[in-house]
Amino acid sequence: MLSTRTPWQVTRSVWYAMFVREALARTMADRMAWFWMLFEPIAMVVMMIVIRTVIMGRIRHIDGAEFIPWMVTGLFGFYLVRENMMRPIGAIEANKGLFAYRQVKPVDPVLVRCYLEGLLKSFIFVLFIMVGALLEFGLLPAQPLAALWAWMSLWCLGLGTGLIFSALAGLVPEIGKILRIISMPLLIISGVIFPLNFVPHDLLGYVMWNPIVHGLETLRSAFFPLYRPVTGTSLLYLWYWALVMMALGLMLHLRFELRLKRQ
Amino acid sequence: MIRIENLYKRYHKHHGSNWVLKDINIEIPTNVSVGLVGRNGAGKSTLLRLIGGMDSPDKGRIDSDSRISWPIGLSGGLQGSMTGRQNVRFVARIHGSGAAADEIVSRVEDFAEIGAAFDEPVRTYSSGMRSRLNFGLSLAFDFDVYLSDEATAVGDRLFRAKATQAFRDRIGKASIIMVSHSEGILKDLCQAGIWLHQGQAIWFDDINDAIDAYHQIGSNKKG
Repeated sequence: MLSTRTPWQVTRSVWYAMFVREALARTMADRMAWFWMLFEPIAMVVMMIVIRTVIMGRIRHIDGAEFIPWMVTGLFGFYLVRENMMRPIGAIEANKGLFAYRQVKPVDPVLVRCYLEGLLKSFIFVLFIMVGALLEFGLLPAQPLAALWAWMSLWCLGLGTGLIFSALAGLVPEIGKILRIISMPLLIISGVIFPLNFVPHDLLGYVMWNPIVHGLETLRSAFFPLYRPVTGTSLLYLWYWALVMMALGLMLHLRFELRLKRQ
Repeated sequence: MIRIENLYKRYHKHHGSNWVLKDINIEIPTNVSVGLVGRNGAGKSTLLRLIGGMDSPDKGRIDSDSRISWPIGLSGGLQGSMTGRQNVRFVARIHGSGAAADEIVSRVEDFAEIGAAFDEPVRTYSSGMRSRLNFGLSLAFDFDVYLSDEATAVGDRLFRAKATQAFRDRIGKASIIMVSHSEGILKDLCQAGIWLHQGQAIWFDDINDAIDAYHQIGSNKKG
């Protein structure tokens, strides 16, 4: 039972145990957890559509895409990144008690949470797409594989930010608070509710520094065959970010493992 | 056997940082149970955490060829939001027990004797119930060395007897390294002793000598 196991076997059993724990906590913890998991995105989409209609009632037109499916894909893509960025921040704190077992490293709850978060978000997105298809909203992706790839890319981008910020917020708790504040403006500059075509050309260059934009635009162009993504959209650029951030995040976790474990 | 060589440890605090443990060289033989004595803040728990691999030394090293448990104590090791059963399952899983997990759960349930509370979240437990669960959990795995940080301090008389008996049953197979301020249980369970004083660790082959040395410093201070 306690015979020597390879490091990989140990890690795998930790991930498995962590996954069961996190999945139970997410879906069973409080009453109606399931209901909220579905209701939250619905409420969010409805709210954003209302805001959008009130503020810019007349310019609802988006080239090559229906307005509501355009919003839904943007919101889901954005929240996939955002949740993967924010959820891991609490992960280390919430699992402090379990670092008593030397098999468990601070990076484990982060990875497991990102994995679980991605699974849940994907599940709900698929549910939305299916219901949308039944209601004939035009929410079926034109190029499913391309959409899947863009979705995976956004997931990896989220994982990279999650790894970095979980380590940083473990060292400097204020970073978590600051992130929460900047996540709202991020929603706007990522082109989730307003199409970036309205942004003046010389400003667009700066907006395109944000890798989330590239993922969202690619995701939308995979969904809507006639949609023209903002010029300069490149999934490769997003992957540079994603890979660099994942590497940096893992390095931070390796370097500060003991500090993150403490107390 | 656990060999500690030139071990240094300090914590960074607001006002400088003194060495908690300074140049410790000790060899703990296999199958010898050891009691750690010393004043509060002398570094007993720190040494235990270092042996358990929860923390790493600033200098020096700890070598061991035994399977060592996590430090069993009042804090840590149990997740408050999970039920007792889920906690046990979790620990069984990370130790890769696979099919044996059910057996481990029932063993812990039997040992802890906390009844229906086993299926309640751990944060609702009293400290005695916590220590019962924690102790039972560690006994469900076959470690060579068990680390106990005041794990039995809050247990009632029956539980202490049970814990003592559980260790007696394992003599020859397992030993314990324990921190405790209750001398009765130290004398019951340990043969040798380590007295931690001013960053130094002094080995005694007899636990009674360690306790005496610790007492003498205490009374000298007063007198």
